Amino acid sequence: MLLATVVGQVWSTQKDASLDGIRMLIVQPFVDGDQKSAETMVVADPMGAGIGERVVVVFGRAARHVIGQGHDIGIQTAISAIVDGMEFEGGRSFGPSADADPA
Amino acid sequence: MFLGKVVGELWATRKVADLEGKRLLVIEALDERRDPAAPKVTPVIAADPIGAGVGERVIVAFGKAARVALGGDGDYAYEAAVVGIVDDANVPDAPASWGFGEHAQDDNNPGGA
Repeated sequence: MLLATVVGQVWSTQKDASLDGIRMLIVQPFVDGDQKSAETMVVADPMGAGIGERVVVVFGRAARHVIGQGHDIGIQTAISAIVDGMEFEGGRSFGPSADADPA
Repeated sequence: MFLGKVVGELWATRKVADLEGKRLLVIEALDERRDPAAPKVTPVIAADPIGAGVGERVIVAFGKAARVALGGDGDYAYEAAVVGIVDDANVPDAPASWGFGEHAQDDNNPGGA
């Protein structure tokens, strides 16, 4: 599982039928510190996450289970939780989005 | 499986039902090639059925092994879980950031084992 921030949404008309009705987001993996991850990934979103929110991303069989349409679907990654907050070592806390992080 | 250090914990109200009542930890892999001052890598999120604390070194399993450790079967919204808390490890050339062996008294090794 991975922690990531939602940075966008993507739409597709010509696609595998198993993807019909599944909301797809673009997320960027979380990195602790000043640097940002260089990579982004596409994830299915059954939770309704919004841009800027921090989310938990699951992979593989767990992701297909989260979508709830059986295991014969063309999905590899999905959001399983929308983060309220995080507490890190040294007493550092994070909010639900980068904007909401305590100063 | 890999060896990691718990660097944080996260909370979520909006989540799939399988995640209810499970702690989610933020874990960074111990990597002997990395200098502690190097840029951070993307951490892994793992469910924790054993009760590891921030700063502790843990063993993390992926895939079906993780689901079994959490008491689930194939249909479970997890693929990473803490399966052990490390007491000590013998890695003669381990960097100080690992907190093992001669570096066992480091601040982040709560047991000091």
